[in-house]
Amino acid sequence: MRTTGGKTMLRLHKLVKRFGSVVAVDDLSLEARSGEVLGFLGPNGAGKTTTISMVSGLLRPDTGHVELDEGEPPERPESRRKIGVAPQALAIYDDLTAEENLRFFGKLALADAGRLRARVDWCLDFVLLTDRRKDYVKTFSGGMKRRLNLAVALVHDPPLLLLDEPTAGVDPQSRNVIFEKILDLKTSGRTIVYTTHYMEEAERLCDRVGIIDHGRLLAIDKVDRLIDAHGGKSVVTAVRQDSEERIESSDPIAEVVKLQGAGDILSLRIDRPNLERVFLNLTGRELRD
Amino acid sequence: MMRRVLALAGKDVRLLVRDKGGTFVTFAFPFIYAVFFGLIFASRSGTASKIGIDVVDEDQTVQSAAFVDKLANADEFDVTQATRKDANDDVRRGRKVAYVIVTRGFGEAAGGIFFNKRPKLEVGIDPARQAETAMFQGILTKYMFEMITSTFTDTAAMTSQIDQAKKLVAADKSLGPIRRTMFDRFFNELDRFTTELKQNEPAESGGDAIPEDKENGETAETESRAGWQPMDIETTDVAREHTGPKNPYEFSFPQGIIWGVLGCCASFGISLVTERTSGTLARLRVAPIGRVQILGGKAAACFASTLILATVMMFVGRFAFGVHPGSWWHLGVSLTCIAVAFVGIMMFLSTLGRTERTVSGVSWAVLLGMAMLGGGMVPQFYMPPWMQALGDVSPVKWAILAMEGAIWRGFSTSEMLLPWAVLAGFGLVFFAIGVRGFSWTHEG
Repeated sequence: MRTTGGKTMLRLHKLVKRFGSVVAVDDLSLEARSGEVLGFLGPNGAGKTTTISMVSGLLRPDTGHVELDEGEPPERPESRRKIGVAPQALAIYDDLTAEENLRFFGKLALADAGRLRARVDWCLDFVLLTDRRKDYVKTFSGGMKRRLNLAVALVHDPPLLLLDEPTAGVDPQSRNVIFEKILDLKTSGRTIVYTTHYMEEAERLCDRVGIIDHGRLLAIDKVDRLIDAHGGKSVVTAVRQDSEERIESSDPIAEVVKLQGAGDILSLRIDRPNLERVFLNLTGRELRD
Repeated sequence: MMRRVLALAGKDVRLLVRDKGGTFVTFAFPFIYAVFFGLIFASRSGTASKIGIDVVDEDQTVQSAAFVDKLANADEFDVTQATRKDANDDVRRGRKVAYVIVTRGFGEAAGGIFFNKRPKLEVGIDPARQAETAMFQGILTKYMFEMITSTFTDTAAMTSQIDQAKKLVAADKSLGPIRRTMFDRFFNELDRFTTELKQNEPAESGGDAIPEDKENGETAETESRAGWQPMDIETTDVAREHTGPKNPYEFSFPQGIIWGVLGCCASFGISLVTERTSGTLARLRVAPIGRVQILGGKAAACFASTLILATVMMFVGRFAFGVHPGSWWHLGVSLTCIAVAFVGIMMFLSTLGRTERTVSGVSWAVLLGMAMLGGGMVPQFYMPPWMQALGDVSPVKWAILAMEGAIWRGFSTSEMLLPWAVLAGFGLVFFAIGVRGFSWTHEG
């Protein structure tokens, strides 16, 4: 599964991970290139977080291997300097301030005090927390903690970001801020691996989306190509006085024009195929199941 | 590498200080403990408890036995009969406050109250207790007076004394006729008085009581003691070897430090589990550092906190409570070994459960067990011998011994080696078990 673009920043080769009799990740192979946002879309328990854990070196695959950048394994501490992880759980210290959190995690990767200071300032500014830098994290809202969680992943300026459901449990306003920041990061050339079970997020942010369920990568491609390949046809729904008609069509506009000529139509609606439909068609169940 | 370990340790110390509960258990409680128990011990030592003394009866006469008996029944003394050598040893080692030797000739002198002979006592007392020496001599004098008083009221003994005196006056050629007549008249009058006393004895139960001078509110007995000493007391300074704590705080501060160390140990053990359950441990693991550095940082934080706590407590103890370590360098090594031991135990405790709640409960159960057996709650010398022996398995016992050895037990370096080695051994073994058993993921 290759994509065109910058150099390969991440390569997963036939990854398998089992927990007892449960196969969490099953024969997963893919690549991600620099400047790309690669999404993993799947329900809870699909294997997204397990994959992220193997990529970040937290878990060893039972078989297969992970390569970072120039083929480095993530188990090597120095290789992990290239990775920034924003885990699904808020992995920050409540009894430290925002600045102290960033400074502490930054120190683990950056030796130069001046650079560290500059990165801390940049991160606080990037996630809009500069005015709260001296406040304890325990006083923050959920959205602010999420933003700080993201900032900690960025503090050592890694080229590869692993964002595991970074908008879980935040309000729409904070979610929009995070979306904007991720798009900014993408523009700056970073490779982002983004897991979500929200179709809208995947469609809005990701260059390519991998549909994952029961540990298997069912499909991976650009969103429109996935929809073309697995979403089926558009559905035109025509509502009449006493009935409703649903017509599947690969050219819904032509169908609408045709139906308008019939004269007794009260309303017309076009349902284009989306990732939800892709997931339904690939797995036989809805994404939210 | 050290920069990262220090960053990890600094973060942990900062988190510990910001946790109010942890700060109290680790830093405030040990002070409260040390001062509270120091005050209790101090007030106990200030009460009118009996003075422990050794008594040596070298005279072995009826009179000396009677005197020893008086001391043994005295409210002020807790008397042990001993040999001269043992008595000296006991005072020198601080086991007894003083000794009293009833010297040869005591009985004869006590019997010859009409002659120029006075019974002689040798008293040995720690010169550091000068303030008590005068009081001690006063108490001895009081009991000597009581013995002489009883001689006067013992009519048989008095008659014998008078007869002996009369014979001696008759035999003494150096006495002039006037003085001889005076002595004869005195002893005859005394003899008649004694005979009358003897005749009245059954009728008056309080016949031996000395009449009270109602006007002055004093007894004639009290008045008579003012100028005349019934015996000679020869006092010897016995320089005591300071094998006990010089004040109660030398005893309570090591125990207070132990409670602080236990608090550190529990706090850091639980914090390792908190890091695991909250996800920050996972974040540390994806940072460009190894597992050794992560655990090293935690160990360094626990080690530093333990040492800082113990050092601060010792300085406060030194300057505010008069705790004077016999050897500062012994104390330094002891505290280092204690920190090593309890860093290992901290690592071990973190393996005792998956959640903070479990680890917290089990940790305190383990630590309190160690404290109970090791003399952290009740001093070991209050325990029966079998329990004291069982205490050998508790690092707390060795930690207290290492501190006491440096502060007031006066251990030599070779004597200190055992507790140091045991503590370091505990640390290494527990750390190895802890590292091996530590679960890096919440799931296990």
